[in-house]
Amino acid sequence: MSSECLVELKDVWKKYPYKQMFHRSIREDIVNVLKPKNNLDLKDNEFWALKSVNLQLLRGKCVCFFGPNGAGKTTILKLIASVTYPTIGEVEVKERVAPLIEVGAGFHPDLTGRENVYVNGTIIGMHIKEIKEKMADIIAFSELEKFIDMPVKKYSSGMYLKLGFSIAVHSASEIILFDEILSVSDELFQKKCVGKIKELKAQGKTMVLVSHNKALLNEIGDQFVLIKNNTATYVNTVYEY
Amino acid sequence: MLITMPSRLYKYKELFFIFVWREFTVRYRQSLIGALWAILQPLSMMALFTFIFSYVMKVKMASYSPVLFFYAGLMPWIFFSSSLNYSIPSLTNHYQLITKIYFPREILPLSGITVAFVDYLIASTIFIFFLIIYKVHITWNILWVVPLFMLLFFFTVAVSIFLAGLNVYYRDVRLATGFLIQLWFFATPVMYTIDNVPINMKLLLFLNPLTFIVENMRRCIVEGRAVVGWQFVLVLIIISVFVFFCYRFFIKIERAFADVI
Repeated sequence: MSSECLVELKDVWKKYPYKQMFHRSIREDIVNVLKPKNNLDLKDNEFWALKSVNLQLLRGKCVCFFGPNGAGKTTILKLIASVTYPTIGEVEVKERVAPLIEVGAGFHPDLTGRENVYVNGTIIGMHIKEIKEKMADIIAFSELEKFIDMPVKKYSSGMYLKLGFSIAVHSASEIILFDEILSVSDELFQKKCVGKIKELKAQGKTMVLVSHNKALLNEIGDQFVLIKNNTATYVNTVYEY
Repeated sequence: MLITMPSRLYKYKELFFIFVWREFTVRYRQSLIGALWAILQPLSMMALFTFIFSYVMKVKMASYSPVLFFYAGLMPWIFFSSSLNYSIPSLTNHYQLITKIYFPREILPLSGITVAFVDYLIASTIFIFFLIIYKVHITWNILWVVPLFMLLFFFTVAVSIFLAGLNVYYRDVRLATGFLIQLWFFATPVMYTIDNVPINMKLLLFLNPLTFIVENMRRCIVEGRAVVGWQFVLVLIIISVFVFFCYRFFIKIERAFADVI
């Protein structure tokens, strides 16, 4: 491969407990902190969310993740976004990552659309100056000119999504993560998003796309990764898993 | 350790600014009197204490007006207690962000503390009026307020990040917050002074760093007295060590926040 590698996952394993923390006791925690633990051991209430995952994200490529629910797609995105860390193995991230945050997660309901552009934009790593400059573009792309000064609690989920998507694609980040985001919007806006993703790709941005829409993935993806049974395999095209 | 925090945060200064701005905007949106709330709380508590101690209990706290006595004690106390109230649930309230995107997590509790700091500044303006009305003799010792406030600030940061981080693991912390703040209030000389307390009990009260801070803030502003140098240095050392360990603890558990929250 000639392209430069921006993110690399080397033999990554990630362990999660089945149960929430309620069954833990402080005594158990203290014991765990003190004694050196063997990461490879699986206790009876734990499972491997990822097993020996090897991945490379190359500059300017659009990588598509597909596979059944609960197979580890979101966990991989979390590792790329440095939100969580592998139990074993290494994750190397060389550029700024802009995750597209779930619909509404980065928004405050009482703030207006415009104010939320500032909040959400800075959260995904944009500078305030940069947001000011791009504000008109962001609003235009989101098609929300009329509603931009309205509190977002009055928005519909489609409107949330349009604004969120618009902010993410205007960020200067080299790596953009899209986690099942195109599923809510109308067809027209979807087409527009696909167009924008292609445009970003042409600009040399790296993208990770998670979706269940096979046609869409086949249209824009360069590389396809099937994530099934907690491990990742490179495949040639998106197919029925 | 005190050096790592600014360098970690520097890169994220705009995010920090935006969080503080958002906290303010959201708080006073759809509110009638807005920022006046920052004055109303210390003012009403001061009025109540003045009434109770002057007419009900008939205890004279100091040689000067109880208005000054209580207000001077309430200002640092309210900064501390509202900082805890904002910061302790701050991480769990933003679980959607914590599980999706990386930024130094201490930004969330710190922006809560900053909001409390602005409230403190607003409440101080009223205090200046009181100082003028009651013709308080101001001396240069008033400048001690700045280092004392720094102590208070760092102590508040340490307690806040420690409890906010712990709250990610055990929600008991949030449940205990109200109770903890109430207990801490009575352990801090806000509505009393430790001047007439026997020496061994005094030492007990000084285990709470806020005792030193609140007592001395009142002394240097209203009574024009200086802070005893060695005492200040001692408290400074204790608080620095405390900040060091709390921040280290926070950094250690921060990596697992997204998995645990």
